[in-house]
Amino acid sequence: MSDDIILRAEDLVKHYPVKTGIIRRTVGHVKAVDGVSFDLHRGETLGVVGESGCGKSTLARLLMRLEEPTSGKVTIDGVDLYSQTGAAMRKLRRDIQIVFQDPYTSLDPRKTVGDIIGEPFDIHPEAAPKGSRRAKVRELLDLVGLNPEHINRYPHQFSGGQRQRIGVARGIALRPKILICDEPVSALDVSVQAQVINLLEHLQRELGLSYLFIAHDLAVVRHISTRVAVMYLGKIVEIGDEVEIYERPTHPYTQALLSAVPVPDPALAGAREQIMLRGDVPSPAAPPSGCRFHTRCFRAHELWLADRTAAPATGTQESAAEIAEEVPPPCRTEVPELILRSDGVGEHASACHFAQARTVVTAA
Amino acid sequence: MTTAPATPADPAAGSSPAPSGERVLEVDDLHVEFRTREGVAKAINGVSFTLDRGETLAILGESGSGKSVTAQAIMGILDTPPGYVTGGKIVFEGRDLLTLPAKERRATRGAGIAMIFQDALSALNPVFPVGWQIAEMFRVHRGLNRKDAEERAIELMERVRIPAARQRAKAYPHQFSGGMRQRIMIAMAIALDPKVLIADEPTTALDVTVQAQIMDLLHELQEDSGMGLILITHDLGVVAGVAHRIAVMYSGRLVETAPVGPLYADPRHPYSIGLLQSVPRLDQKRDETLPAIGGLPPNLLAIPPGCPFSPRCRFVAPECTQGDPPDLVEVGPGRFAACLRLDAVAAQVRAEGGATGAAAPSSPSLGANGRSNDNDGAGRADGSASESEEGRS
Repeated sequence: MSDDIILRAEDLVKHYPVKTGIIRRTVGHVKAVDGVSFDLHRGETLGVVGESGCGKSTLARLLMRLEEPTSGKVTIDGVDLYSQTGAAMRKLRRDIQIVFQDPYTSLDPRKTVGDIIGEPFDIHPEAAPKGSRRAKVRELLDLVGLNPEHINRYPHQFSGGQRQRIGVARGIALRPKILICDEPVSALDVSVQAQVINLLEHLQRELGLSYLFIAHDLAVVRHISTRVAVMYLGKIVEIGDEVEIYERPTHPYTQALLSAVPVPDPALAGAREQIMLRGDVPSPAAPPSGCRFHTRCFRAHELWLADRTAAPATGTQESAAEIAEEVPPPCRTEVPELILRSDGVGEHASACHFAQARTVVTAA
Repeated sequence: MTTAPATPADPAAGSSPAPSGERVLEVDDLHVEFRTREGVAKAINGVSFTLDRGETLAILGESGSGKSVTAQAIMGILDTPPGYVTGGKIVFEGRDLLTLPAKERRATRGAGIAMIFQDALSALNPVFPVGWQIAEMFRVHRGLNRKDAEERAIELMERVRIPAARQRAKAYPHQFSGGMRQRIMIAMAIALDPKVLIADEPTTALDVTVQAQIMDLLHELQEDSGMGLILITHDLGVVAGVAHRIAVMYSGRLVETAPVGPLYADPRHPYSIGLLQSVPRLDQKRDETLPAIGGLPPNLLAIPPGCPFSPRCRFVAPECTQGDPPDLVEVGPGRFAACLRLDAVAAQVRAEGGATGAAAPSSPSLGANGRSNDNDGAGRADGSASESEEGRS
């Protein structure tokens, strides 16, 4: 493994059984995360975007080992995450910490800020000797831009943005190598979001952290990320540099997602072409065959239409069901691999049989 | 409808083609307060605006700015106690809603002014099929029998483009996705052809691809029916493409109102400028610190004297922190802003290269004179912008 890679996920799978009836018989599986592989480099921010239900939060929980995977492997700095036990596991947990979305429910209302931020030191006493803990907590409060005098206050005495700072302080208390941010700013007001984003960037420079930044706001992700992964129904459909994903997306889902984001500029809002997707995200308990996006894919449908006009169907080769889906055969039957595909300028990984770059975000 | 109040036509409507100039709603100097154990929270402090037929007015603000309370006051669904309308008029079709007897007021709800809410799952009744709930509008308000009402409900579900409407009418709210539930709520709201539709954060809980579908649907329904639409949101992006006019709220006041184009191109109030600069843009990557607005939204129990935005304003001057809050003054055709230092602000923004230009300033906006407007006193949260600056040097 390259020295540069701090976390590597290989073919990570998490299926939740669906049970029914009195004897809780398993009738199927929700494929929340279904074969996800990626590398996180030292000091970089990998943004993970996707709609609700695409598995991005399950991915965060797997990387924290809050869930055991169905299969797959994660190595942190060369150490296998899922085979560690006892003291070794506890030691490994110091390296990877998380900041949750909702600063209102992720802080214990009965504990003071000092207790909340100091709790990691109770679990990992080697990180700070007993006498020095209060001083450490004050240092942390100062680092995240809160007043160290407020160490004895309770979470309800703080605003949403300040609570999120407390959550960040707890996350960095053990000086982890990796910080997972699961929608860290989506519960905050617009004018406070920028403050927390700036704080995260500042801490990254100060402490050399690597971030896995999960969010549904594509503009925020672009601002903070070095690389971006796009997830759909438990799989990464496209991954690449921030510029590759935003300026030369090759997967139709990425293109649709980007085109749907409203831009705060009425001049551009009128001029932009918007790709409307058909219907809703299918259930992850019964994902579509072949490419999981094929039921909503505009490009597959366009290709199918072009194909039919070029060579009128003979009427014998295609079954009724195939015609009803109105997409080319490979989209329906073959799972596209996440491999390097040309994006016009260079190449980056995309899981589409017919990957082709398309400009959907016009530079201002 | 011919009894529209004899006020001069709002010049703001002139810049966009769709509104017809026929006034449907006028809110005049509205005041709302919440009497709580901790004290009186002044949620709305003199808000005035108008809405024309076919017009989309976006009310933009953060939590606590009073945008949702404004909507609740117009609908007459404010929780009393603790909320009380303490002054002002809400004129709909020539009549002040606030002085109407409860029975007449109820008749305007749904048929005159309808509302859709952010959280469709909690706004719908979980124990009745959705078709039955939509049909209820026709049974109660129009006196239709059950069968006719259900037919009309199915027609409406088709109109908001719910696939297989006839079968889906028998399903319960939890059996629908978020986007479909929002469509059902829209169907209920437009059932009685209201003159005004208030949408309170209609897409906030939805994914972007679904969000676009819902905004599209609202826009289309408005063009068909010519209703006035009030869109309440905190998202600068969502309204850019659909609104005609924008009203920016802060601390229970309108701080700027303008036609949509000029507001985004050339915001005049420091709060609007700060909001537009602090939002990351999808179409540009800036490798610098976001110019954040420092500090916190004000505590409504203790609004500071002078301009309520002054503790967070980077253009603040001594006169901003005394006396009464500034009034809205005309700053251009159909444009109003409430700031004492408009000229100085405009000059400084121009010198920095424009409010929305690439060369946005990254100057720290500390709580100015050190006055902390939050009662938890943790005013140091302001410092992130400046700290990041230090961190880089």
